[in-house]
Amino acid sequence: MKRLLQVLRASAWLGWQVEANWADPLLFLIYAVAKPLATTSILYYMVKVVSHGSATAETFRYIFIGNTFFIYVTEVLIGISWTVFRDREDYETLKYIYVSPVRLMPYLLGRAFTRVGTATVGVLVALLFGRLALGLPIGVSTTPWLLVLAAVVLGLVGVLWLGIILAGTSLVVARHSMNLNEGLSGLFFLLCGAVFPLDVLPPAARAISLALPFTYWLELLRRMLTGRDFAHSLATMSDGDLWRVIALATAGLCAAAFLWFGWCERIARNRGLIDWKTNY
Amino acid sequence: MNLAAVFARAGVRVKASFRESSWVIGETVFPFLSMSAFVLVYRGLHAPKEYEGFVVLGGAMIAYWNNVIWGMASQFFWEREQGQLQLYLITPVSRMSILLGMALGGIAMTTTRAVAILVGGMLLFHVELPLSRALPAFGLFLLTLGAAYSLGMILSSLFLLWGREVWHTATILQEPVYLFSGFYFPVSAMGAVVAILGSILPVTLGLDGIRQIFYGKAAHGLLPLGWIPPIQIALTAIFLTIASVMLRYMENLGKHEGRLTMRGD
Repeated sequence: MKRLLQVLRASAWLGWQVEANWADPLLFLIYAVAKPLATTSILYYMVKVVSHGSATAETFRYIFIGNTFFIYVTEVLIGISWTVFRDREDYETLKYIYVSPVRLMPYLLGRAFTRVGTATVGVLVALLFGRLALGLPIGVSTTPWLLVLAAVVLGLVGVLWLGIILAGTSLVVARHSMNLNEGLSGLFFLLCGAVFPLDVLPPAARAISLALPFTYWLELLRRMLTGRDFAHSLATMSDGDLWRVIALATAGLCAAAFLWFGWCERIARNRGLIDWKTNY
Repeated sequence: MNLAAVFARAGVRVKASFRESSWVIGETVFPFLSMSAFVLVYRGLHAPKEYEGFVVLGGAMIAYWNNVIWGMASQFFWEREQGQLQLYLITPVSRMSILLGMALGGIAMTTTRAVAILVGGMLLFHVELPLSRALPAFGLFLLTLGAAYSLGMILSSLFLLWGREVWHTATILQEPVYLFSGFYFPVSAMGAVVAILGSILPVTLGLDGIRQIFYGKAAHGLLPLGWIPPIQIALTAIFLTIASVMLRYMENLGKHEGRLTMRGD
């Protein structure tokens, strides 16, 4: 365990250096928060231009919460698999990591912590922006803040394991497939109802949506932060049901990640793909 | 010789863009997914149907803007990373002709993506684009591309000398530009001052004008439609002049500082 913590800490520090040592912290912070603030503002103006219709402040709060916490999915999911491509092909260091006394999966998890950190800054700044600039109430008097924190962490653990599954895939595919990883994030954004009610999805897409853990995660966060449920499709589920689905899905993703990553790692080694270069 | 360089560089880009099938899928299907999410936002808000059209047109324009950022502005950075920049620099052709080739090839490549977004939006979301007004819209679209890719040439000269900040700068030119150019909503919603400042980017006024052509007053246009084509032509001329000067200056600066063959990673 001590060794594992050492690896996580060292790779997280390395990840931070790779991400941020080219700029001073303020400049890096601007880069880190520009995207979440811009996306929040886009959604704000989208609601504003149709505010003569049925759009209300409550509607925007629904969109805002989904979009803000989805930052974790985008940043961490893409970040982990991108680490494989960057280390393997740009820095050409993956082979050295591989021959050092470090297991690849903990190393990648450590590298992902940097992304978790920058995503957390993005989420916090977006929440502050929503509260102070847009005047949105974040939470209600009954909001269980510790449980909100626990739900964020649980969802994040699920995202990390899914990221490891994608990183395993990245070990055995060419760099062009980065598009697929980014696309998967876009697909989740669409299907999880991050910025619109699930009920506007066509029935087939809604069925897929209900099979994704992040759909339940976002609904749970919305319920805790607003005190009411949003998706009619999930109205019959209690908060406890949502917790159970998220916990089971996280455990399932963890098991799948161990199996899939191990298999991909073996394939990559057998086929000589650890130092593969495909950025031609 | 410069004309040959334009066609040669454009040809490489066109061939490369269709060589990797995962790339084609990645650049058509996945941007379509993101755009779909924003269409569904309006549908969830029960917005008038033309707002969904705004998003589809914005989604198509985003494909070109991303190509300007990643395929034009950042391109010399990638070429330097791969050790090819010096080969461009020792050839007896104008840098502008290479960039023009990149632009034409990039436009050809991106058009397939943009068409997929437009057709997909019309078929899947039943977005209405009055085809009787397609010709003037196409004319304004061409003027907009001219100005946008000219801006890409200026950015290309800046990106020529940068290291890892290229990645982050290119990223910062995405979502914030989607906001200030009103890719998903009429730019006038942000207020006249912000919208006019955003109009320094040619895609802002281009998209505003194209929406006005298709949807008339419902587009909530920022400037009268008649003003937009001359502004786009003026922006193209200004950007091309600045790009020409900047490219020479940055290349000389790069030579003095020895940064033209350095790896940014």
